[in-house]
Amino acid sequence: MPEPTPPAPPAPAAATAAPPPELPATGPDEVALLIDDKPVVVKKGTTVLQAAERLGIVVPHYCYHPGLSVAGNCRMCFVEIEKMPKLQIGCATPATQGMVVRTANTRVKSARESIMEFLLINHPLDCPICDQAGECRLQQYAAAYGRGESRFVEEKIHNDKGVPIGPRVVFDGERCIKCTRCIRFCDEVSKTHELGLFERGGHAIIGTFPGKSLDNNYSGNTVDICPVGALTWKPFRFRARVWFLRNVPSVCIGCARGCNVELGTFDHRIRRITPRNNPEVNGWWMCDLGRQTYEPLDGRPRLEQPAARGAIAAGPPGGAAAPAIPVTAGVTPGEALDRAAALLRETAARHGAASLAAIVSARLTLEDLFMARKALQQAGIGRVVVPPHESGEDDPLLLRRDRTPNARGAEIVGLGRPDAAATARLAADVKAGTVKGLVVVGEDPAGDGLLEAPSLSALEALVVIDAWRTPTAAAAHVALPATGPYEADGVAVNFQGRAQLARRGVPAPGLAEPSWRWLRELGRRFGLAGSWNTASAVFDEAAAAHPPLASLSHRKLGANGHPIVFAEAAPGGGAPAPGTEAREP
Amino acid sequence: MSDAAATLPVSVETDRKIDALLTKYPRRSSALLPALYAVQEEHGWISEEAMDYVAGKIGVSPAFVAGVVSFYTMYHRKPVGKHHIQVCRTLSCMLRGSFQVMARFKEKLGIDVGQVTPDGRFSLQYVECLGACDTAPCAQVNDADVPLLDATKVDEMLARLK
Amino acid sequence: MAYEKLLLKNAGRENSHTIDVSLKAGGYEALKKALKGMTPEALLEEVKASGLRGRGGAGFPTGMKWSFLPKTRDKPRYLCVNADESEPGTFKDRLLIERDPHLVLEGIILSSFAIDCHTAFFYIRGEFQKGCRIFEQAVAEAYQKGFLGKNILGSGYDLDVLVYRGAGAYICGEETALLESLEGKRGLPRIKPPFPAIVGLYGCPTIINNVETLANVPFIVERGAAWFAGIGRPKNTGPKLFCLSGHVKKPGVFEAPLGIPFLELLNEHAGGMLHPDRPLKAAVPGGSSMKILPANRCEVLLDFDSLAAAGTMLGSAGGMVMDSGTCMVGALLNLAEFYEHESCGQCTPCREGTGWFTKILHRLETGHGRKEDPDLLIDVARRVEGNTICPFGEAIAWPVQSYVAEFKSEFDDHVTKGACPFGGAAAKR
Repeated sequence: MPEPTPPAPPAPAAATAAPPPELPATGPDEVALLIDDKPVVVKKGTTVLQAAERLGIVVPHYCYHPGLSVAGNCRMCFVEIEKMPKLQIGCATPATQGMVVRTANTRVKSARESIMEFLLINHPLDCPICDQAGECRLQQYAAAYGRGESRFVEEKIHNDKGVPIGPRVVFDGERCIKCTRCIRFCDEVSKTHELGLFERGGHAIIGTFPGKSLDNNYSGNTVDICPVGALTWKPFRFRARVWFLRNVPSVCIGCARGCNVELGTFDHRIRRITPRNNPEVNGWWMCDLGRQTYEPLDGRPRLEQPAARGAIAAGPPGGAAAPAIPVTAGVTPGEALDRAAALLRETAARHGAASLAAIVSARLTLEDLFMARKALQQAGIGRVVVPPHESGEDDPLLLRRDRTPNARGAEIVGLGRPDAAATARLAADVKAGTVKGLVVVGEDPAGDGLLEAPSLSALEALVVIDAWRTPTAAAAHVALPATGPYEADGVAVNFQGRAQLARRGVPAPGLAEPSWRWLRELGRRFGLAGSWNTASAVFDEAAAAHPPLASLSHRKLGANGHPIVFAEAAPGGGAPAPGTEAREP
Repeated sequence: MSDAAATLPVSVETDRKIDALLTKYPRRSSALLPALYAVQEEHGWISEEAMDYVAGKIGVSPAFVAGVVSFYTMYHRKPVGKHHIQVCRTLSCMLRGSFQVMARFKEKLGIDVGQVTPDGRFSLQYVECLGACDTAPCAQVNDADVPLLDATKVDEMLARLK
Repeated sequence: MAYEKLLLKNAGRENSHTIDVSLKAGGYEALKKALKGMTPEALLEEVKASGLRGRGGAGFPTGMKWSFLPKTRDKPRYLCVNADESEPGTFKDRLLIERDPHLVLEGIILSSFAIDCHTAFFYIRGEFQKGCRIFEQAVAEAYQKGFLGKNILGSGYDLDVLVYRGAGAYICGEETALLESLEGKRGLPRIKPPFPAIVGLYGCPTIINNVETLANVPFIVERGAAWFAGIGRPKNTGPKLFCLSGHVKKPGVFEAPLGIPFLELLNEHAGGMLHPDRPLKAAVPGGSSMKILPANRCEVLLDFDSLAAAGTMLGSAGGMVMDSGTCMVGALLNLAEFYEHESCGQCTPCREGTGWFTKILHRLETGHGRKEDPDLLIDVARRVEGNTICPFGEAIAWPVQSYVAEFKSEFDDHVTKGACPFGGAAAKR
């Protein structure tokens, strides 16, 4: 059967034997080009390297980074472009209409092999002791594009190794390939300008001004972007081989931005936190404080078992050592919860419902907060305060003054925003004795200096749900062990009004459960109906109850979250985070 | 004013010279190379302290200034001799015996290339083509050109220079 | 052949660097003529028609370069004079600067006028302290006489000239590295495109011209493009300053029309070979970056196209002559070390390759060469060439390729003999 006549191809630009594959139509601001015979349409100004990425074609590179200016010095991204006699670097060549590009012919392969050889001749054979192994571009490209053996028999150029270039960053001068990504980051993103390029030629080396240090809150990003092991992260140095890490996508809990992160876990412990790209929230970056948010999991004393005690006894709040909780022998979670409910009921009976109050944290997940509201309502506790946790000012890049990840989440579920005044009033009322019973979820008012020992010990019912063995927990009548950061799935709404799903990276110790589970059970004892067995189910219930969350779900939030719609415009919502815009080529 | 002057790593005169440079060019950044020369003119070399100071004057980071200083061969990062002898080592001078000339300097002064004599009078440096190949083998002593060197001229020169 | 000296006409006079001597010799007449009766466009066309090609090393047609400037005037235009003369074997610009700065300055003013530039920069290498003093004095004299500053000669044209000293870096002779240095940074060449005519100094349209190139412009203006094009050979027009140094009796700068035979330059101008018993072995016609010619290929004409046809280039016209007593391995080692010291270090092939060359050559020269080393040199050079940000890659690759190719047996001898047959002086410093 004859083929249907194809439409006439456009007249070829030059008289070639076979007409080139037909180029797709383009809009006024677009160009169409061919890369390895595959057509692609891109916005004007897009580079050949970026256009190739659109097609899923890998053009190897070191010095190019979408978040930094183009340097063009590594020479790894060579491609062949018809009508241009020399090979061109894809990272710096704008795609033009009708361009014909080849990324994998003999000439390009030979150039890549040459560049690999040049990069390796002075590079130390440090792989066995280098953190970068397993995520090193030199290794990857050497395997993919290299000669396979060395012809270099000379003495390599030597430089200082293991240089503490900053409090959290270690520099190896021999591994450095002078791609200058780190310098460009410090100049263009953190704008702290600590790094420079010194000497010239084969002795060119990056470094700080003598006596000065790479000491800014974004120094960790230079380690992420260093394509080799020249810059390594001191807290992670020699801790784990990256191919053993189980990587979990999650969200940082350090502040109200909620940078998207990857938890690198090994043997049930987080070994490092690195940023995941999210153009709306944090771009490619995160701050050093955020990288360290898992560290309390490695040593801060935990609540691991439910605890309850009979008489009210004073514990020393704010003590340096881990406060001990007297445990009634063999209390089960059920018994602890029963005791908690009973204490609250008795206190309300003696002094009235208004004598009960709750302190709920904006550090909790949306699921925790939703269940808190429901349970507290069910228990007749109407007075709920959310304490603020602020530090400094919003910095020009990512870090927010508000150090709670979910202030907006508290607002959405009806608990209100963090409120210093309301918190202070509650503290005063506790001190004055008009509040006799407190439910504290995820907060440490004693340790934070809000409430003092006598006030705490005067309470007739103190129920604490928390991960940490705090002074407040030590004074509690009932202490219920909660999951800590990165130990449970949950959603937080960041300051932009973006709901993001943090995934659990590591298991919690002992009998710790997410706070929402404890709250559900506590609520049950006051008649709360409903059985939500997963965080996802709780979220779905919250979404049904609160219009801004409507149509969202854990599944829908995926890896990069979703903006939610408030009644009034969200501050800063929708605009990408500063320093995170993909650079114009 | 004298208190402020006391803390500067340069003289008031040099500080004023640099101020004038800041508005001489269409962009302030261009003042960096001449400012470094001004510092070196006064002290004979450029200390880290001076680099930090110049960085503040121009409005760039100290790391940037250190990068510029270390890129160019004519900025000295440690003191050189009162008479800094720079012998050309590139082809035309080499063909006409510059290595032998340098050997004579080394022998007479008792120092190696890159060193300063104990009395601080002389230092030796190899430099690349000085653009005076018609007078090979040639050298510079500080700012001055020294053409057509040979062993006799080396001895003569060293005797003459105090 | 009676050749009328042009570029060096004034240079031999006493106090030739002063404006009084220059004026007596006819200096600034071209400027007066141009400002009185020519438009900038007409001047540009004249330079185009003259066929003047850049004298810095690339030989690019000057008028064509000027015409790359964009038509818009939203940004100021700049002229940068490349007085960074650092190509080994080259010293002609220095001669012009020290002996006839006013010729150069007149060329600068005329060229600035042609391209509608009102601030010109004279970027002079740091080591030319004497030349810098002389040129600054010449600039001051020109201001005094009203050839610079506001409303030059009542024409309404303003021009300022700023002198800027380099600080010791051969790479700053590369156009975009020069711009970086002028902007107060490390002299790292820029990625091109964009080219300086579009995005140059401070991001503004900029023309960079060599000192000698500009020194030709007053003659073109005064006597016309047709006259200029009659000097030299077709497409290789005008007078030229040729440098010769190395093993010659009278090293120096010689003016001759483009196209003079190399051997005539060597024997009739430079006095022939230095030692009567050591004949010519090899010559680099145009600065160390250009491919070498063995003696049996030295019957060439010295112009852009003839040398290109001979497999090398005129470059900066810095000719270097080597006699039979020269070890070619040692000579190449010497140059390789030059390029290793001068590499800016920005891009991978040059930063790593330059050091590799010197290490291999050092082993060869000290008798530790391996059989495969000469071929390795050639292969590594092939991998540098064409892969760098700037022509520095070619500048080291070409000498390596040509010395090894032309003198292969000498390289092999170093290996088989396990020593340098000439004594290995180049390696013992």
